[in-house]
Amino acid sequence: MNSRKNFIIGTAVLALLLTACSSSSKDVSTAKKITFPTEDLTLNISWWGEQEAPGATKWLEETMALYHKEHPNVTMKQVLQTTEGLVPAFEAAAAAGAGPDIQYFWGGIYAQQPGWDGHIAPISDYLDAEELSHYINAGVEEGYQGKIWTAPWYVNPSFPLLVRKDILEKNGLTTPANWDELMKVCDVLSKKKITTIAGGVKDGWFGGWIYSILGGQSVQSQKDVINAVVGNTSFTDPEHAGWWVKLAESKTHKCWNDDINSLELYQAQQRFVDGKAAMTITAGPDAPNFAKKAGGDSNVTIMAMPAWSDGPMAGKMGTTSQTLGITKWSKYPQVAADFIKFGHTAERLNAWYKLTGSMPADDRFDLTQVESQSTKALFESAISGAPYLENFIPAQLDAEAVFKNVQLILKGSVTPEAAAADMQAQMERLRKTDRKLVDNFTAWSK
Amino acid sequence: MSITRSGIHGSLLGGASRYLLLTFMAATALIPGYIMFVGAFKTQADFLNSPYGIPASLSFGGFRSAWTDKFPQWLINSFVITTGSVVVSVFIASLAAWGFAHFPFKGRETVLGVTVSLMVVPPVVLLIPLFQVGVHLGLISTLRLVIIIYVGLMLPFSIYMLTNYFKSIPNSILESASVDGASPLRIFSSIVIPLSGAPLITLGVVNLLWAWNELLLALVFLQSNEKRTLMVGITGFQSRYSLDIPTVMAGMSIATLPLVVAYLFGQRFFIAGLTAGSVKGE
Amino acid sequence: MLKQASTVGARNGRPRTISAGQQALKWISPAGIVLIFVFGYSLISLFTQSFRYDGKWVAFENFTLVLTDPLFQTALKHNFYLLFTVPVMVFLAFLLAVTLFETRRGMSFYRAAVFLPYVLPIPVVAVVFGQIYQLRGALNIFLTAIGLDGFAQDWLGEPKIALGTMASVILWKEVGFGVILLLAHIISLPSEVFEASRIDGAGFFRVHWSITRPQIMNTIVFFSVIEAITMVSWVFNYVYVMSNGLGGPGDSTLVSELYIYRSAFSNKAPELAAAAAVCLFLCTLLLVVAFFRIQRRSISGTFGR
Repeated sequence: MNSRKNFIIGTAVLALLLTACSSSSKDVSTAKKITFPTEDLTLNISWWGEQEAPGATKWLEETMALYHKEHPNVTMKQVLQTTEGLVPAFEAAAAAGAGPDIQYFWGGIYAQQPGWDGHIAPISDYLDAEELSHYINAGVEEGYQGKIWTAPWYVNPSFPLLVRKDILEKNGLTTPANWDELMKVCDVLSKKKITTIAGGVKDGWFGGWIYSILGGQSVQSQKDVINAVVGNTSFTDPEHAGWWVKLAESKTHKCWNDDINSLELYQAQQRFVDGKAAMTITAGPDAPNFAKKAGGDSNVTIMAMPAWSDGPMAGKMGTTSQTLGITKWSKYPQVAADFIKFGHTAERLNAWYKLTGSMPADDRFDLTQVESQSTKALFESAISGAPYLENFIPAQLDAEAVFKNVQLILKGSVTPEAAAADMQAQMERLRKTDRKLVDNFTAWSK
Repeated sequence: MSITRSGIHGSLLGGASRYLLLTFMAATALIPGYIMFVGAFKTQADFLNSPYGIPASLSFGGFRSAWTDKFPQWLINSFVITTGSVVVSVFIASLAAWGFAHFPFKGRETVLGVTVSLMVVPPVVLLIPLFQVGVHLGLISTLRLVIIIYVGLMLPFSIYMLTNYFKSIPNSILESASVDGASPLRIFSSIVIPLSGAPLITLGVVNLLWAWNELLLALVFLQSNEKRTLMVGITGFQSRYSLDIPTVMAGMSIATLPLVVAYLFGQRFFIAGLTAGSVKGE
Repeated sequence: MLKQASTVGARNGRPRTISAGQQALKWISPAGIVLIFVFGYSLISLFTQSFRYDGKWVAFENFTLVLTDPLFQTALKHNFYLLFTVPVMVFLAFLLAVTLFETRRGMSFYRAAVFLPYVLPIPVVAVVFGQIYQLRGALNIFLTAIGLDGFAQDWLGEPKIALGTMASVILWKEVGFGVILLLAHIISLPSEVFEASRIDGAGFFRVHWSITRPQIMNTIVFFSVIEAITMVSWVFNYVYVMSNGLGGPGDSTLVSELYIYRSAFSNKAPELAAAAAVCLFLCTLLLVVAFFRIQRRSISGTFGR
């Protein structure tokens, strides 16, 4: 075991040295230029994200045009996929071994799984380590045994709680500093028939968010969660099950809107903008827009979920990046990589912020251009945020155990103990049906 | 016209109660269409405040964001795919149905049974294998491939429906033609088809609606923006985190309008088709 | 109109005698080719995949995994429950068809109205009913307004009733199709059928129940088969858009197709999807065969040859 580990570390160090040398030497980089194809070629990009980062299409079109100007032989085409279409289209393409050259992936497991399945070529084969070291979250989420599967594109600070000061002040309340204070706010507001936190779980995703921001508080790191996934620990252990109790507590204190089960998240978030709810939780890239609509910095506090535990991640903002990967079947992986790198040049990073109002996944992005203090703080927290837990469990467990039981807890149909037991039972089943899961996750956590 | 509809009125279920039933059902059927249509003219905030009322002021924002530069292309694609697949499916299904109905060959029931049972294959399970075939033939993102797949998926139902109908054409009519020496082709084109106006039109309408509204296959098989169908383009307005309802409603209104207009204008023709079938059963 | 028959083909003699099989083949082959293209390879690869994992033969392992999965059992159970919608839908379609048949004034308006839901795209239906069935949606507002607040429910949010709510939407959308099918057949019936009963002075509904219904039995059975198949193999679109692809709340609206879809696409387990699809295929086949048996027994002698 130990010797294997040493071997891996040794290889990784060697690889790092080699790439470091090659990137510092000018001769090699001109050699790269020579291998850059000169014939006419077309690159296809299949992506998603306009919905959470409005303006992304414009940025992509611009970037493609600029790249074409620099490399006239490269023509680029982009297809914005629907939420329904993103995964099926990619899976069908993968099954057939033909399709887009650059594909969009959510972070963590969503980028790892295609890598494990052999559908993508690691970006680290084409971009050097120094360049990738600037890509926010690349190592934690996309790293696998010294490789990095996909390149982070933009950051999703995950997930901020937005608080309206006006509603709290009118009811003699202040911004809660911890979980118990939040429960007190709920008690006061619910007596006055005001929703404390507007949410919607009909479309499920919010369940995963809640898991990440509540469940993350009682574990030491994402590795604890992977341990439960592979079966070293159990999802019924207190460190993994405690958050179900807190979620049920928030229901008892009537923190949520009573129609949370029949609303989609976005419909619910609108109530926050309309001043009918004191707080809400939004997608990271969208949080600045929401804050602006509800009165800007003077009225809205953007913060991490108040802490209910003293774990290292409690009270800390999570962070995840949405990524672009190069498909295994792409004929021009080096051009695809070069295009991705082009998107990380200073001018392009600034353009991303200007067009979408959100943060590009690059620590070289100049934060001084961000005027709103709350937005700036949000961006800063995302550079060194807590790992986003939902991205470290199998997607199937997320949908079939987390989404489902969050819905049932908020409806009062199951107890926290039953929810944790169900999650554990599904995990055990999943280890049987996905016969490579344990090996893959074990390798990932190494 | 050989129909008399007099005489059965006024008894158990009186005229008034019949109209009451119809009005209730019509209202139930129309309300969602109404919500879609008025929703299209609201702003997102208006819609969330009052989803069902008449909009206080007309907003065309939904239409503006729905009508992107690709919209006319999507409309044309939908039109081509729908027309192509409906014409082909109804044509070859009627040939096959006649083959099944007219020729009592050995194993007919089995072949028909297998054909009809293909109806039970959910399209979901065909996605990946069909995509592999498509890539192999180099037909991904072509309208041709989607038309063929649609035809294939509509055929079992179409053949079943038409066989059922053709079988119910009285033997006496067909036999007298055979005695007169008409070939099966002749009997088919000059007797069976004219007698089958109602089922053919009904089938055409059903297939048309299915093809126009199909989503899953179009999503996966038409990968480029220029080749998308209207329904796929519009569903793209829906999203993981946000749901701009007026835009979706506006897009849907535009997508539904051709169907509603076609139906309303085609009603006369539709009725003619229905009553043309009245001779059968005699 | 019958005179058409006698005007056709005045030539003497019968056509050459070729075997019925050869003759039929000519007519059937165009459809046959398309069917083989679309289903042939797909079904074969589906069956072989269901016995394999990672390219290796695993016998029935995939089937064991799928059939012992509580989720798949739940999904099948829900499909089975949905089947109970079929008799309701068929009865309602029949009632509306005969009522429309008896209505002269405004018939085309009512018919168009009843057919409209069948025209609307399912995504529209999902968005609109998603609004109507909310806890603060139109239905509950309406129920409260007429003093029936006791009946107000969290229609889509309450796991116990969500499947019923889903069924009501399917019913709402599909019933118009049945009305049109049945109405087409009723209109094509000879008028003597009804005249005889008018002399008897039988009541409106009784006339149609006892006289019209047997006459249009093959269309009724046809519609029932189609809808039964719909409930088992074609409800994906409804469930997918109404529950945002989750089959929730909890797993209260999970159906087999969604299970297959999720296995293949979200869970990256195509071999389990294939095994589940084969199971679903066999279940529906059984259903269809049973229906055909019933159909042959009930309508032989009424129609056909």
